[in-house]
Amino acid sequence: MAAALALKDVTKVFGGFRALDRISFSATAGEVHALLGENGAGKSTLMNIASGIYTPDEGHIEIDGTPVVLKGARDAALRGVGMVHQHFKLVRSFSVLDNLRLFNPQTAPSALSDRAKSLAAQMGFNIDLARTVGTLGVAEQQRVEILKVLVAGAQIVILDEPTAVLSDEEGNALMALVRSLADAGNAVVLVTHKLNEALFHSDRITVIRSGRKIVGTIPSETDAKRLTTDIVGEYLVEEPALSAAAGSVRLGLVEVQQPGSDGRKGLRGASFNARGGEIYGVAGVAGNGQDELADVLSGMAAPEAGKIEIAGAGDVAADGPDARRRHGVATIPVDRYRQGLAGGMSVADNLAVRGALAGRYGGWSRFDRRAARKRAAELVESFEIQGVRSLGQRSALLSGGNAQKLVLAREFEGDPSIVVAHSPTRGLDVRASAAVHGRLRKARDRGAAVVVISEDLDEIMLLSDRIGVLSGGRITAEFSAPADRAAIGQAMVGHD
Amino acid sequence: MTEAPGVERSQAIGIATAGRPPLRLVPILERRSTIGDFERISVYGASLIVAALISISLLAVAGVAPSALGSEIATVAFSSPRALGSVLAQTAPFLIAGLATAIAFRANFWNIGLEGQMIFGAICASVVAIYDIGPEWLRLPLMMIAAAVGGMLWIAGPGYLKLKIGVSEVITTLLLNYVAFNLLLNQLYGPWQDPVSRFPHTEAYDTAERMPFLGWENLSWALPFAVVLMLGLWWVYSMSRFGYLTDLMRSNREMARAVGVPVVGLSIAAILGSGAVGGLTGFAITAGVEGRMTQDFFTGYLFAGVLIAFLGRNHPLGVAAFAIFMAILLLVGQSLQVFFQVPFSLVQLIQAIFIVCVAGSQFFLTYRMHWRGAA
Repeated sequence: MAAALALKDVTKVFGGFRALDRISFSATAGEVHALLGENGAGKSTLMNIASGIYTPDEGHIEIDGTPVVLKGARDAALRGVGMVHQHFKLVRSFSVLDNLRLFNPQTAPSALSDRAKSLAAQMGFNIDLARTVGTLGVAEQQRVEILKVLVAGAQIVILDEPTAVLSDEEGNALMALVRSLADAGNAVVLVTHKLNEALFHSDRITVIRSGRKIVGTIPSETDAKRLTTDIVGEYLVEEPALSAAAGSVRLGLVEVQQPGSDGRKGLRGASFNARGGEIYGVAGVAGNGQDELADVLSGMAAPEAGKIEIAGAGDVAADGPDARRRHGVATIPVDRYRQGLAGGMSVADNLAVRGALAGRYGGWSRFDRRAARKRAAELVESFEIQGVRSLGQRSALLSGGNAQKLVLAREFEGDPSIVVAHSPTRGLDVRASAAVHGRLRKARDRGAAVVVISEDLDEIMLLSDRIGVLSGGRITAEFSAPADRAAIGQAMVGHD
Repeated sequence: MTEAPGVERSQAIGIATAGRPPLRLVPILERRSTIGDFERISVYGASLIVAALISISLLAVAGVAPSALGSEIATVAFSSPRALGSVLAQTAPFLIAGLATAIAFRANFWNIGLEGQMIFGAICASVVAIYDIGPEWLRLPLMMIAAAVGGMLWIAGPGYLKLKIGVSEVITTLLLNYVAFNLLLNQLYGPWQDPVSRFPHTEAYDTAERMPFLGWENLSWALPFAVVLMLGLWWVYSMSRFGYLTDLMRSNREMARAVGVPVVGLSIAAILGSGAVGGLTGFAITAGVEGRMTQDFFTGYLFAGVLIAFLGRNHPLGVAAFAIFMAILLLVGQSLQVFFQVPFSLVQLIQAIFIVCVAGSQFFLTYRMHWRGAA
């Protein structure tokens, strides 16, 4: 039987850079094919070619064994290739049905609605088609995206890093859906950099690196260690490294309350202490107060009640971010493009802001661009920020891992005594994650109190010297490393 | 800024035609990762040339041959010291108006209330002039300060509402124009009506209450004043921490706040600065050009200010260039109206064409287009 989708010897060059180098890839009806690779390995480029967004420079595409030339995304959709992008392509102010109509303009609205309802039922997706997309959660929006391509008649479904924006639970539910899509006779391509998704939820695995196919295998014939080596080209596994010496309490929360946005629970009396020289990991299921905790710690929101004490500064609960920073707090935000970078400004300008505020480049009436630029060049070098073709390049164009390194480089300038990091490796690949973790450990070893909020329990286990479980807006249990993973998991779901 | 052009040079990937059937060309858009100063200026310059070509064609259709247009521009703007003087005299208020608008725009505050700030600034200056406040030698500086304070007061309300509860400044600043205008009419048809002529304008300012003439043509000190202001702002935006942080805030306000930039303070400074310069625009016209406050001294400056700031990309030097351009356009337009019976709306159309072309050029700053073969 011919593959539903086959890319044959595809090459794609961007401005002299070989993003893809004679890659072949195929997906068969009824199977889940995982496409693994680091950020920038060429996964998205390959799939953008499959879905008609890019045209290959060399090589060709076959659908059901017939060579085709895709004239664009719509052409690909008409031939049954549906891509669900990492960044959703939905109109937030439109209803679900209107979004489906926008993507399927030829179909009569009533027929569209009927088809959407029956497909949603098959997906086990209970959705009111009249709801406005903007009011849906991330996981639901993603399902709308999947529904959108299915309604358009997709038999080849490509999911680009679908779990990057989801919590563990939501991710597992999505994987179940992916399997049911394949069982229904679709060919599913799962683009990911998470090993477990490939190992436990796919039928075939293809690993690409630097635009080349490295290996094609099946889950039963490989394991996490081998896949890691294939992906990064070397054996790279992070081991926990505990704190040598924890000092005195640097940061203390006392009964902090902060209502959540969009009707979430928020913080309901959270208390914990973080000491200098330790990494305090805040574990928990998404939506239990993580975002609110990060906001009150960084000063972006003033808590409704309770105290936030910093050693030597007293209660800083009412202080904004600028005052917090004067007390030595550094923040690594969850959404690095929204809160971490000024995307339209250059890499140099993004790196200079803390130094400028500290008066390193002159007073209010002066900004020594030359000195700022020199310092930026040093930071790019020492934090190994790659993909910087010039310091004048807009920072929005850095990949996730390098954008995060830029944020770290800026935040760790001036040796902060307290570091608050919210999901610092979300969406990053193995190598970039290891680099970020290394920086956090370095800050701790220098004596800083590091608070890591993460919904990824593996990350918490790997990094933390002590672990607090955030559940229902409170810290309901604390553990010291090495901790029992099962006990933490229990605590995460045990309370409400 | 002198940034090393880390430009990804256009790699127009050759369309291999040898031995293959001819390919259909399709445009491919790619987001630019970076753009060098040279490309930026080229794109911008090209948009101006396109706008000029469209304008020239339109005028040709309206009966003004390109050669006639050329000689008209030369005559009106450059033929004599007097012509040049008229252009520069008109440039001064345009320059201050453009700067007032650019200060706010540069901090993402859409100040559409320049005329209101001009009026209230001029009213405050007129209070000093009419009631002879302060000794004569101090009168003009006092009027200037009063005008700046008046402009700040007029923008303070919208600024407060914007920063405190997020009320759109476009609405509040715009509507306050009408409030200021009615206040102006109230004064001019009431207590401040000219006692001599009974016309609805104030009595003529005394000599000590007017900006002195430079002694060359009909130019007053309004022009050097505007130039000094322009140079000061150029320095602020390119050399100071204030300017750098303002640009950062404009790019991403939430990020700026998160990294400790005092965004509220910077916003207040920019908003009040814009209002103050707006008030000074009113002062420059009443005390620098007309010598009294009339009922329509402000007319057209709101639109001109927005236009000049936008075309000049909120950059002080760009604002200066387009203030001159607008002054020439205005004077040439008036002349064409008289000698070629061209409707004045054509001048407004030309202004609009320039805006549309420059706004459209943004697309080419963001994307690179190249042609790719497809079967």
